[in-house]
Amino acid sequence: MRIIDVHAHPILFRQGAKPAEVAQLIRRSRALGIVRMISLGDVLLHGKHPTAAQVSAMNDVNGRLQKSHPDFFVSFCFLNPVLGERAVMKEVDRCVTKYGFKGIKLEISNNAREACMVPVMEAARRFGLVVLQHSWSMVNLKARRFHSDPEDTTLLARRHPDVKIIMAHLTGCGFRGVLEAKGCGNLFVDTSGGFPEEGLIEYAAEHLGADHVLYGSDLPIRENSVTIGRILGARISAADKKKMLYENTARLLGLN
Amino acid sequence: MLIDTNVNLGPWPFSPLPEHTGPQLAAHLAESGIRRALVSDLRAVFLPDPMPANRRLFAAVKSAPALHPVPVINPALRTWREQLAECRAAAPIRAVKILPNYHNYTLKSRHLDAFVAALADAGLKLILNVRLEDERHKYFALRMKGVPVVALAGFLRRFPTHHPLLAGIYKPDLEKLAGECGNFSAEISFCEWANTLEALVKKIPARRLMLGTCTPLLSTRAEVDKLVRASLPARTKALIGFENARRFFNL
Repeated sequence: MRIIDVHAHPILFRQGAKPAEVAQLIRRSRALGIVRMISLGDVLLHGKHPTAAQVSAMNDVNGRLQKSHPDFFVSFCFLNPVLGERAVMKEVDRCVTKYGFKGIKLEISNNAREACMVPVMEAARRFGLVVLQHSWSMVNLKARRFHSDPEDTTLLARRHPDVKIIMAHLTGCGFRGVLEAKGCGNLFVDTSGGFPEEGLIEYAAEHLGADHVLYGSDLPIRENSVTIGRILGARISAADKKKMLYENTARLLGLN
Repeated sequence: MLIDTNVNLGPWPFSPLPEHTGPQLAAHLAESGIRRALVSDLRAVFLPDPMPANRRLFAAVKSAPALHPVPVINPALRTWREQLAECRAAAPIRAVKILPNYHNYTLKSRHLDAFVAALADAGLKLILNVRLEDERHKYFALRMKGVPVVALAGFLRRFPTHHPLLAGIYKPDLEKLAGECGNFSAEISFCEWANTLEALVKKIPARRLMLGTCTPLLSTRAEVDKLVRASLPARTKALIGFENARRFFNL
């Protein structure tokens, strides 16, 4: 079965950047059926609020990774929305022009409901990019100033219905997160994050439709064999598994 | 042929999980290559007296020979001796599970001296459950943390001649504990990072690791694939997948 992993950090805290490590990752991933991997970047290297120079440096590392293995990696442009419209537009323009990035990755610089998201969404619209927003239920974590609860990510999607948004971390968003996202046509959820809790894949397929669920691992924080096995073992149809593991992301990002 | 050391029957109040009968659970496990399993009943987690759950467990596994019952005992209850006796009379048990965080005692509890000695006298293994869920995703009103690694280390030092199986321990905690104590084994359901097992066997001997899936709270297939698809020698996979459990529980 062909698989696209829509949520991975091949280089995290500078680990995994050596050519031999990258080659090993590709070899192991392909052995599991992964044909393309979306590299979201080393997004926590400089903490919650990286400077514009740090953001550019991280995107350059991610861009070079994609250039070194264009048949495997697809990179997203990491942004710190708090830096403002000018910095956001400049960085997106630079990364799309120089590397051909396919999407925008947002981490924990701010909450997705804040006003600083407006230029980010305008950049996504202008350059035709998908936005992947870090999301996690804040019921127990109490850090909503920086983290986006599924309610916040869903609000972002409803405010910008012409931009396709991926709500990261199905496990972290949980059953409530699925219900928040229900009925939001431009919102997709990736299956990354957390241990392979039983029942969530089926619940997401039932309430969002399998077309809105994308396989993601959160590698290296999670293991591909586990995150793939969770979908293969789910009580859903073979056709829905194929959609989640490959077809949805291929269509969303225009990958063949 | 895999042996799963961490499986449960019964409902979980916070997730719409499949509720299996004994034979249904055995069939579900077999789909992932698991031929034998050590099984407890989740009702024992929340009941003030776990015995009704244990009795249901013994009844459920009677028609499923692949499932080996592991009753849950609360050593802080005054009646634990008679409850242990009842469990031993009900079925040929090989181990007993304790849930200190859910049953409101710590691993410093004085009750554990007699309890651990009684298990040893009876030739029973102790399964010490560290957690059943990721703390970040618990039901909002359930303020339950996993058993801290410092408490596990204290327990292991207090009973140096005993060798429990730790269930539900996180990978960083396991690696830390492995550097401090040698008298325990661990199942792997809550251990995960890229190349989990390849990294783990560098920190703790493979002969002290066992397959555990935490079914039905976690995906059985996903947890099995962590082992089956790992880049490890077949011999190491066999140890973790079934040989260690077969020896440890005398199956």
